[in-house]
Amino acid sequence: MKAFLAKEGLIPLLEALSQQMEIIAPLATESCAVFSSWRGQIMDLQNNPLAPPTEFLLPHREILFRYVQESGRYTFKEEEIPPRLLFAIRPCDLHAIALLDKIFGSQPIDQAYFRRRRATALVVLNCTTWGRECFCASLGAGPEARDPCDLQLTDIGDGYLCQAETPAGILILKAASDLLQPAKLEHDQEKARLLQMARETMPRDGSCQQMRQAMKRADWEDLGRECLGCGGCSFVCPVCHCFNIIDSGIPDGERLRCRDSCLLSGFSRLAGGANPRRTSGQRLKHWYQDKFEDIPKITGLPGCVGCGRCHLVCPAPINRADLKVESREAKG
Amino acid sequence: MEKIHTTCVYCGCGCGLFLHVEEGRIVGSSPSPGHPMSRGSLCIKGWLAGDFVGHPERLTHPLLRRGDRAVKATWDEALGLAAKKLKSIQRRFGPQSLGVLTSAKGTNEENYLLMKLARAGLGTNNVDHVARLCHAPTVAGLGSALGSGAMTGSISSLECSDAILVVGSNTTEQHPLVASYILRARSRGAKLIVADPRKTRLAELADLWLSPRSGTDVVWINSLLNVIVEQDLIDRQFIEERTAGFEETALSLREQTPDKAEEISGIARTDLARAAAIFGKAERAAIVYAMGVTQHAQGTDIVQALANLALATGNMGREGTGIYPLRGHQNVQGACDMGALPTVFSGYQPLSSPAVRAKFETAWGTALSAEPGLTALEMLWAAETGSLKGLIVVGENPALSYPDSFRVLKALKELELLLVCDIFPNETTALADVVLPAACFAEKEGTFTSTERRVQLIRKAVNPPGEARAEWEWICELMRLMGLQADYASPASIMAEMALLTPSYSGIAYERLGLAGLQWPCPSKDHPGTGILHVDCFSQGRARLRPVYYAQPPEIPDSDYPFILNTGRSLYHFHTGTMTRRTSLLDREIPAPFVDINPEDARILGLREGMRVMVETRRGRIAAEAHLVDRLPRGNLFLPIHFTEAPANALTCQSIDPVSKIAELKVSAARLERVMP
Repeated sequence: MKAFLAKEGLIPLLEALSQQMEIIAPLATESCAVFSSWRGQIMDLQNNPLAPPTEFLLPHREILFRYVQESGRYTFKEEEIPPRLLFAIRPCDLHAIALLDKIFGSQPIDQAYFRRRRATALVVLNCTTWGRECFCASLGAGPEARDPCDLQLTDIGDGYLCQAETPAGILILKAASDLLQPAKLEHDQEKARLLQMARETMPRDGSCQQMRQAMKRADWEDLGRECLGCGGCSFVCPVCHCFNIIDSGIPDGERLRCRDSCLLSGFSRLAGGANPRRTSGQRLKHWYQDKFEDIPKITGLPGCVGCGRCHLVCPAPINRADLKVESREAKG
Repeated sequence: MEKIHTTCVYCGCGCGLFLHVEEGRIVGSSPSPGHPMSRGSLCIKGWLAGDFVGHPERLTHPLLRRGDRAVKATWDEALGLAAKKLKSIQRRFGPQSLGVLTSAKGTNEENYLLMKLARAGLGTNNVDHVARLCHAPTVAGLGSALGSGAMTGSISSLECSDAILVVGSNTTEQHPLVASYILRARSRGAKLIVADPRKTRLAELADLWLSPRSGTDVVWINSLLNVIVEQDLIDRQFIEERTAGFEETALSLREQTPDKAEEISGIARTDLARAAAIFGKAERAAIVYAMGVTQHAQGTDIVQALANLALATGNMGREGTGIYPLRGHQNVQGACDMGALPTVFSGYQPLSSPAVRAKFETAWGTALSAEPGLTALEMLWAAETGSLKGLIVVGENPALSYPDSFRVLKALKELELLLVCDIFPNETTALADVVLPAACFAEKEGTFTSTERRVQLIRKAVNPPGEARAEWEWICELMRLMGLQADYASPASIMAEMALLTPSYSGIAYERLGLAGLQWPCPSKDHPGTGILHVDCFSQGRARLRPVYYAQPPEIPDSDYPFILNTGRSLYHFHTGTMTRRTSLLDREIPAPFVDINPEDARILGLREGMRVMVETRRGRIAAEAHLVDRLPRGNLFLPIHFTEAPANALTCQSIDPVSKIAELKVSAARLERVMP
């Protein structure tokens, strides 16, 4: 189903939807856009938030279940998962979700992930402009959404071209059917024109092939010396999905699944203390290798979606451009 | 899900971050791209800043000691008992028998109130906090040299330095976001000199690494300045127009030859010459330092030596120049600013000034003592001898964090009343008569002042657990019980009172503190705050250079104790580990105590990686795992301070710097032996 929604119709549409489910949208704050519960606050639809929306499917800290001990017997209780709508996520993040679906969907299926995933509707906003570190076009992850979602929006100036791709998407549009106008051919043409422009002007470096070449030449130990070990790149990566399980509380408590990072030495350290990835250079190399070698092998898709967030958070700063010189010293 | 913008609780960088809140729980955190200092980055501790908040071991009820048990009590019972005992001690032994250790982890408002409680409520100036063991020499040394004991520029100003001298700071681990600016300057082409006995990560990245013997800093810094003077790389105009004491200082330097420096500090004269050329010829040179400078029995002198260096080369008052002491706690700057020190009121207004005292007496409606109070360690010594009877400790864990733990524990046990307020049970709450559960940084409103003098808001994201309360609430209650007026509606109204009494904070008010906060001095409500100090003049007129002379550390290695023991922090833990050891990823990184030793020394002692060893000094002994690291020079040991099962401070000594009263924490003579399994 295709329709045109005038800009002034957006808020009424979200208001109608918020009666049915929690809406997560990019809200404007004094610092930056953040994905947060929308209750009528001002949104920032220009900038992609630094913390990716995947945290609503794979939370930083998730209660898998609570355990209660009574007379020596344990009982377990799972959390309720409320229905949610992720509004205005970007094609790169949608692509990351498609990857996570593949990874968590391989046997054995990760039930905790899919309980949230099934309860979440996805509304994508195509990118007619791009941020300073974006390179999604090189990896086929943007600027136009190509992965399955419920509803796709494109800002074509005075309104949005809405394309519902699933029954859930049609229901979302139906929540405010009186606000919709029929889509016209020129809407489609305008969408194609804007996205083509974005595609052509976006940086084209950082394709899987280019990155693999660069990784072969990179001086990892040299880069590793500058790495401050914050783990930020893995925490903002929408594809990174490593976690650790801890039990918090004795005798009653919670089993938590917490985000983890392969940039930390404890991640790969073995019980006896030996560590196959001892230096930060080795860990940095592993992180890149996972994205451009290992995940492609498993899923058939690059493990990087070109959102550029890892460059934005790096305090060192290390980014993909640094891989392309033999070492930073040589760069002078 | 809500995302609440707040300020990080760990180090003095003062990074902005969002706490992610769902159903009243903190479920994550992320950086703040719009923050003027952290600009969208965080260190690993910041990324995990909210993790300890909902930990099941949080203190949730006031506790009272009954015999050797701690029993639950109501707030009324706990505060009532505390007030009764405080009054009784005050009546029987006088106000000087009471003391308060405030918290560098608490807010400015809480520190101000505790300072007021001590001075106006208890009638004593025995008020101090952990700055005594970190940057007291900075407050004293830079205070007398420059007129202000705070960082002279903004952290971001380091980005435009041409040369940066980092002394005694493992910046990439302890202040990662400051290191980020240093690395940016370096990739711009700035020259980096790192002076540290250990080859830190930053030393590896530096153009020049100087590795002085621990405790010999005065020698090599003097000698460095001597070479700079001899080669005429000094800024004569700056010296003449803006400083005093140069001639006398330069004269004293003549004997500090590079040969002498090489002999005492171990730094090759050629390296010193290179350092002099880099630092002296730079258009904009900055000095960054931390605990490796201050935690010495000669701390104040080393700070002065660095100030001499910056002043003689005219590196002050401009972007990219200046002196950058890196403060450890997120609000240790603020706790000092609030006058949680025995000789000054808020804004470093001296107790000794009758006019200042009169101002506070009028504002607080009570007479105030002019007698300088005791410093932190002096209070514990007084407790040891029985002249201090009651101590309030807020958000501090002296039983583990103060030197010579054995003496500290003995002193704390001597007290008639030990009131401790904290967020987790720790080694000090275990000894307390009254334990009060505090709200942590995510559970209250207030302000922190970062190491670059940036006053920033913290915001309440979740409710405190159980009956825990924000400290300012119970401090007000205790003030009322002690007969003081304390009708503050909120932390903002405490700030308003403090600002009225404190010139450097006069212009600071909650409604002005947006994302960026305000850097003091901010003297009026329309003042934009001050990024760089000493631009046109020094507050005291001229900056003072002063000759400083090397004194041997109080304890040097001998045949019984052949190693120099150095103590410090790891990237993954913070201080006594009450928060980080309850953050699973951080605890996993460094789960157990270790001692670093040079591989060559280890070989001689027959030690291999991971073996259990006993580290012993004249004060005590602890067991830890040996880590063989070649970044540590021979003859040195390094021990982290985070572990209660291997308390580094069981080994350190209480020899103190005569000026700032800081203890010698970086040099103890130690020996090491293998523990047979």
